[in-house]
Amino acid sequence: MTRSYQSLGFFPRSFVVLLALATVQGCKREDKKAVTADAITIGVVLPLTGREAKPGQYQKEGIDLAVKQINQAGGVMVKAAGKKLPLKEIFYDDGSDQAKSASFVERTMSSDNATAVIGGYSTALGEAESVMPDRYKVPWITPGAAASAIFNRGYQWAFGMLTPTDILGSTTAEFLQSVVEAGKLRKGLNVALALENTDHGIDYGNGIKQWIQKHPGSFNVVFSETFDLGSPDFSGLLQKVKSANADIFLSDAHLQDYITMHRQYIQNGMKHQMISYGARGPETDARKALGDGVDYIFAGIWWSKSLPYPQVKQFVKDYKEATGREPDSWYAATAYDSVRILASAIETAGNLERTAIRDALRTAELKGSLLPGQTVRFGPNGQAQNPFVIVQNKPGGKVDIVFPKDAATGEVIAPIPTRG
Amino acid sequence: MAALDWLNVVVAAVLLAGIYAVMSVGMTIIYGVMKIVNLAHAGFMMLGAYFAYELFERGHLDPLVGAFLAFPVFFGIGRLVYWLFVRWLPVSNQPTLGSLLLMFGIWLVLQNLAYLVWGNEDRSIFTPRTFLTTQIGPITISTLRLVAFAVALVSLVVFELVLRRTWYGRSVRALIQSRYAGQLVGVDTRRTASLTFGLGIGFAGMAGALLASLYSFNPDFGRPFLIRSFVIIVLGGLESASGVALGALVLALAETIGILFVPAGYQLAISFGLLVLVLLVLPGGLAQLFAKRYRSA
Repeated sequence: MTRSYQSLGFFPRSFVVLLALATVQGCKREDKKAVTADAITIGVVLPLTGREAKPGQYQKEGIDLAVKQINQAGGVMVKAAGKKLPLKEIFYDDGSDQAKSASFVERTMSSDNATAVIGGYSTALGEAESVMPDRYKVPWITPGAAASAIFNRGYQWAFGMLTPTDILGSTTAEFLQSVVEAGKLRKGLNVALALENTDHGIDYGNGIKQWIQKHPGSFNVVFSETFDLGSPDFSGLLQKVKSANADIFLSDAHLQDYITMHRQYIQNGMKHQMISYGARGPETDARKALGDGVDYIFAGIWWSKSLPYPQVKQFVKDYKEATGREPDSWYAATAYDSVRILASAIETAGNLERTAIRDALRTAELKGSLLPGQTVRFGPNGQAQNPFVIVQNKPGGKVDIVFPKDAATGEVIAPIPTRG
Repeated sequence: MAALDWLNVVVAAVLLAGIYAVMSVGMTIIYGVMKIVNLAHAGFMMLGAYFAYELFERGHLDPLVGAFLAFPVFFGIGRLVYWLFVRWLPVSNQPTLGSLLLMFGIWLVLQNLAYLVWGNEDRSIFTPRTFLTTQIGPITISTLRLVAFAVALVSLVVFELVLRRTWYGRSVRALIQSRYAGQLVGVDTRRTASLTFGLGIGFAGMAGALLASLYSFNPDFGRPFLIRSFVIIVLGGLESASGVALGALVLALAETIGILFVPAGYQLAISFGLLVLVLLVLPGGLAQLFAKRYRSA
């Protein structure tokens, strides 16, 4: 049996109203307590163990560096407190486990009473965490989950530092068009797409196809198929790619699949004018596994330590001082900027009310960002919209940024020279 | 698609079948004799891959030599695991929950040990042979895959001979057919089980070392192969290496040729479709089909 609110008597109804008021007051009190606090509590949930331990460690290092630098400068100015408050980090290692990841985020948002939470490397862990922010009304920024699926569910409290993967697809097509315009490739070339059967792969493929649709005559997609993650053999798929007689081969794959597929690609004697494996290409592990087989492969990535911005050079120097090594790939950079944009939103909000911080994040603009374009702002769905940089592997282990032009550190080599 | 392309695909499938067979045979024999679904098989394969990697990195030993060395080393490890844990499991003619949990637990421990020792980076072995190809008539074959196939084939033939020609092999076959009857005719079940577990883990380690020269790997390595091993066991039956080889060949052909007609994303669906089909039509595997033919002839 169910009873509506109207069907309750006067006293029970008053009780419900009082309870609701008490809850609202409780929340307000919580925020006021945070303003009187002597630090801003930030929850951080990342994997330091398990399969995602390495990227998780790099992201934690980026966060630690940003927190340290902000605190060394006195902290974050909070108008309502009338002074700068330091950031206090509460960290949990989720062990690369989705269930733990979600429960630690829940803990930071409920019992730890964090003002905001940063967490979620990779997409799978970010996806598990993403249900909590709207439930607890706490701003959450993920520095390591990119799939649009997370941000297209209408969440109001979730923000992502990684540009969506469909933009990786469109940037790839745009880059190839620039190579055509430079007279290095012919117009109207045929493209074969082999995409991993994940949100990442599908978004990447859609980005390319939509760009080509908007630019008729630029390229033709003659083959497009998905494949399973971790497949032990790609001979059937590669045979189909071969039969499609494409000029350009674009795949989107995780590192393991990139290595397996490209080994078989070379062993099958396949050749294309340009090859890419999406966001994969310049990894040290790939060069170890494939030797000079990785030469001339191009990739779209979120960040590169070769970006010619002074703040990137400073970051690389600071990171090296803090950890003893240069940043490996983009992981630390997006994490570092996630703390900076949060600090800037807190300053704009002027208090520690979570709704005000969430609203400030929606309109925040982090100038002097490490990411391509040098400014980070979140789009309507909460995801950053920065451009990707395209890098190309060169002989001798060199990796050059080849697109966009204003960030280029070398000329693109196209078409790929025939292997000797 | 031209006839030559078809031939290339069939050759690729046969080479893949060799790899599938050597990775499944250990699991098959352990299940056959002890009725234990060895979920830790993938973990031992992963350790085999790291074993070959360490020999290559530190001792500059060829991964194929590593594969041969992996067999006795993992045979020893298998016997140790049997002595420490497996022998305490209750004897049963059906897989028990206890055995499933134990093997799953061992797999998790192995995985986490590997994370601790090697971290989560993808590793691989790159040798001057990695991109070497062999031309046989109009067909180009990866030399590495060809060698891996040959090693797999030789080890399966040797294993088949051991099963057919030795007392140990006869004991194994007897226990696969009926544990109770085996005991009645004097088979030392505990010793046979211990040797079989060692042998199964030996094959897992060797398969892992062989795969290390073909694929990149991390502590999670082996999971997709484990799933395929289940399909091969159901297809090939439990009584011979040739049954496993046949099951592996059918699976590899179905997967490789199947995706010429359906999108490659359905590769696993083909494997599982085949599994369901065999369970419905031939629950005894391909051996049942041959037995029917034999009876009707």
